[in-house]
Amino acid sequence: MFVPHSEIDLKKMFEELSISSLDDLFTHIPETLKLNDGLNVPPSLSELESISDFENLESKNIQNLICFAGGGHYDVYLPQTVKSLTMRPEFMTSYTPYQAEISQGILQVLFEYQSLICDLTDMELANASLYDGATSVAEAISVAINKTKRDNVVISNGFNPNTKEVVNTLLDRKKFNINYVDLVNYLFPEDYVFSQDDAAFVVSLPHYEGSAQDLTSIVHNAKAAGVITICYADPSMLGILKSPGSMGFDIVVAEGQSMGSPLSFGGPTVGWFATRKELARLVPGRIIGESRDSNNTKTYVMTLRAREQDIRREKASSNICTNQTLNAIGSTIHLSWLGPEGLYEIGYQAIQKASYMKQLLADNNFNVLNHTSSLREFLIETDKSAEEVILEMGAKGFLAGIKYDDNQILVAVTEKRTKAQIDYYVDSLVEVDNA
Amino acid sequence: MHSGGNASSLPLVGGAPEPTINQLSKPGRRASRFPKLDVPVTEINNSAIRNDKPSLPEVSEHDLVMHYSRLAHRNFAVDVGFYPLGSCTMKYNPRFADYVAGLNTFANSHPSTPSAFTQGNLEVLHELEKFLIEITGMDNATFQPPAGASGELTGLLIIKKYLEENNLTNKTDIIVPDSAHGTNPASAKMAGFNVVEVSTDVRGMVNIDELKELVNENTAGLMLTNPNTGGLFEENIMEISNTIHENGGLVYYDGANLNAIVGVCRPGDMGFDIVHSNLHKTFATPHGGGGPGSGPVAVKAFLKEYLPGPIVEKYENNYEWYMPKLSIGRMHGYHGNFLVALRALVYMKLLGKEGLDTLGSYAVLNARYLSSIISKVIPLAYNEPCMHEFVATVKDLKKSHKIKAYDVGKALLDKGFHSPTIYFPLIIEEALMFEPTETQTVDTLDDLAETLKLIIDELQGDDVSLEEYPKNLPVGRPNELIPAKHLTVNWGDFELLELTE
Repeated sequence: MFVPHSEIDLKKMFEELSISSLDDLFTHIPETLKLNDGLNVPPSLSELESISDFENLESKNIQNLICFAGGGHYDVYLPQTVKSLTMRPEFMTSYTPYQAEISQGILQVLFEYQSLICDLTDMELANASLYDGATSVAEAISVAINKTKRDNVVISNGFNPNTKEVVNTLLDRKKFNINYVDLVNYLFPEDYVFSQDDAAFVVSLPHYEGSAQDLTSIVHNAKAAGVITICYADPSMLGILKSPGSMGFDIVVAEGQSMGSPLSFGGPTVGWFATRKELARLVPGRIIGESRDSNNTKTYVMTLRAREQDIRREKASSNICTNQTLNAIGSTIHLSWLGPEGLYEIGYQAIQKASYMKQLLADNNFNVLNHTSSLREFLIETDKSAEEVILEMGAKGFLAGIKYDDNQILVAVTEKRTKAQIDYYVDSLVEVDNA
Repeated sequence: MHSGGNASSLPLVGGAPEPTINQLSKPGRRASRFPKLDVPVTEINNSAIRNDKPSLPEVSEHDLVMHYSRLAHRNFAVDVGFYPLGSCTMKYNPRFADYVAGLNTFANSHPSTPSAFTQGNLEVLHELEKFLIEITGMDNATFQPPAGASGELTGLLIIKKYLEENNLTNKTDIIVPDSAHGTNPASAKMAGFNVVEVSTDVRGMVNIDELKELVNENTAGLMLTNPNTGGLFEENIMEISNTIHENGGLVYYDGANLNAIVGVCRPGDMGFDIVHSNLHKTFATPHGGGGPGSGPVAVKAFLKEYLPGPIVEKYENNYEWYMPKLSIGRMHGYHGNFLVALRALVYMKLLGKEGLDTLGSYAVLNARYLSSIISKVIPLAYNEPCMHEFVATVKDLKKSHKIKAYDVGKALLDKGFHSPTIYFPLIIEEALMFEPTETQTVDTLDDLAETLKLIIDELQGDDVSLEEYPKNLPVGRPNELIPAKHLTVNWGDFELLELTE
């Protein structure tokens, strides 16, 4: 369908190759391997015919649920400006910028991306993206293990369970031990004692359950034991939270969806990765640096390439090749659109609206389990099973949150939610959970 | 010389360097506006709250749009010109897929939305699985892996778990050809295997005799792409896969070169047990400047229960998530790169039987034709019929005129073409690897060959300074020494001084 060959073209090409049909191209392939009748797939469709097919398919999803779910992916407003610039074909349809002379656009945007993330997290060196938040946590742990040569990993239990599953998959559990530390009253215990065997301390800011704390003293204790400290931060809250760098963390990773990517059913999004220069050589993935060309003009290039799989092969810092550049471009443009006031506003409004919602829920006799320590995301208890409540709230037009436990739901509020939506949510929940 | 290929350098804008967004920042400017807070204000007391505003650029919306549009103008892309880039399958990305991927609930579903509310999304993955297993000759697939390298790791972790379940933990060696992509050995290492390299014979194929010597009771499996990275079909593939199977190992197909054989033959019929596909190559999803991709893994039925999950299962009236019983676990926080998978489904449905049956044939036709006309300019590395890509070498020109593959690639940039892949596969000296894909016209292929001839003639001239190429682009050759001495990786001008040591 996107093949341009006319009969005249084919005649010319066949003559050049002294063949008379396409089949003649494959005389060297064993006959027994060839597909004689072709593939068992449906017939070709024109674009016009397939529009209704795909619109019908899309309509099988429940439409326009008002989103109160978070857990790492947030319904933050994505401006048209950011969407349309990110989807410029020169960005979207380009290859990895190995040829610097014709890739200055992508290279400069990625240099800006790295710089913005460093500024925002108070780190010195960011890479040009990883797959998503969950895989970034696993990559950060690998860096810590490679740096410390220790084999114990301390992870806060206040993590999205899917993230923990990814870490369990990617970390060789025969070689390394993972010690999951329970939160106490939804906060990481300040008096946790780190050991000299611990390679990494991994904690989420805010915790998965939505509570947040200044982690400075815990980070200090971990570092005193020689542990590499890793913060999994929520980018859309970094305008209002103390930066991970200011708390002393060595590595910051994040699920970057809320900055520049639509929810996308979870992918493609982008994993942020930033660290201090001491760890530069262990960083996974691509890094963009500033150089000069032969005329001394500022030129961006891919740098520190000796860490990567295409050069180091089995000795590479990671096997990552294709990353999430386009989503990183989205993060760059979104952060630039927001500016300091905008990023602050996203965090501030989310927290204020969540505070209003928590109080309204409490006034209606719902138990908000982490009312005081939570910010924009919190746990509520339900009488009915969480699953039932979420399904019945769907019929009222809400994605009510994420099931946390049999009778607990994790609810997230973003700046997009309105007072009217919150009021209607609580009214609906009263109906659903008391019925 | 009036094809799309030749005109394509023109849109790349040179001139003064573009300032960074930070240099465009002025205090008090902003693009963002938000509705007024519509709930009563409460005091927030939390030790994690900061007292100041974050450090970000302050720019107007118009400045922002101009800046990123100007940067876009400084970038080559499939929509701008021809990428004869071996191993990368840079084909045309249908615009219609953008429309479908932008439809409301496709683009905006929260990943935790219950399956009862997202039947359309689950059906997308199920439909795509049906296409993919038919094309590859496998039985089941997962869409967890977000890229090819993640797919490779998935496949290797499946092999590992399978061996553990069958008490074959002595099997620790993964055999990888010396011509393989760098991700193959890197992934094998990450999965905890030893990497054993098998060499390539003079014809450019896996050295079968050596392979037979290397295979023993410790062999866990083999990673192979067919056609291989030299663009040649491994004619002894059945003997290769049988050799591994007879020793209790599994055979893994690196799908990087799948485009060559779609509709021609199938990895599943060649003895491969596990296959990953790069949807961003073979199935025309945009490469995004380096990503996102999608690297679904398909397996034979006996490995289904090892797949990372959850995967989609179809029941009588609905679709449900299913976690395979012996699953290696999750490879991604949610469902992999769903919107990339959706775009691939759009492409497959548009192509349908007519398009998919002939996909590999046209990709090979273009490559074979290009190899034939380029061989009159630069010698090919192997004297064998190529599949979707081929390797040429300028090792003779290097000896006679000091012209390296790198120089030829740089000179091509000036003429409006992306460079072919250079210095890969590693086993071929001064390699230039060409992959035209099926979406280029014969005129563009002719232009490339003619342009190569012009370049080679020009570069052999007496007064030529090779370092000056390219000459007509926004920047010239980057100085490779500066980053090694003074590494600037953010606009805070951070220097990594240890590099000077």
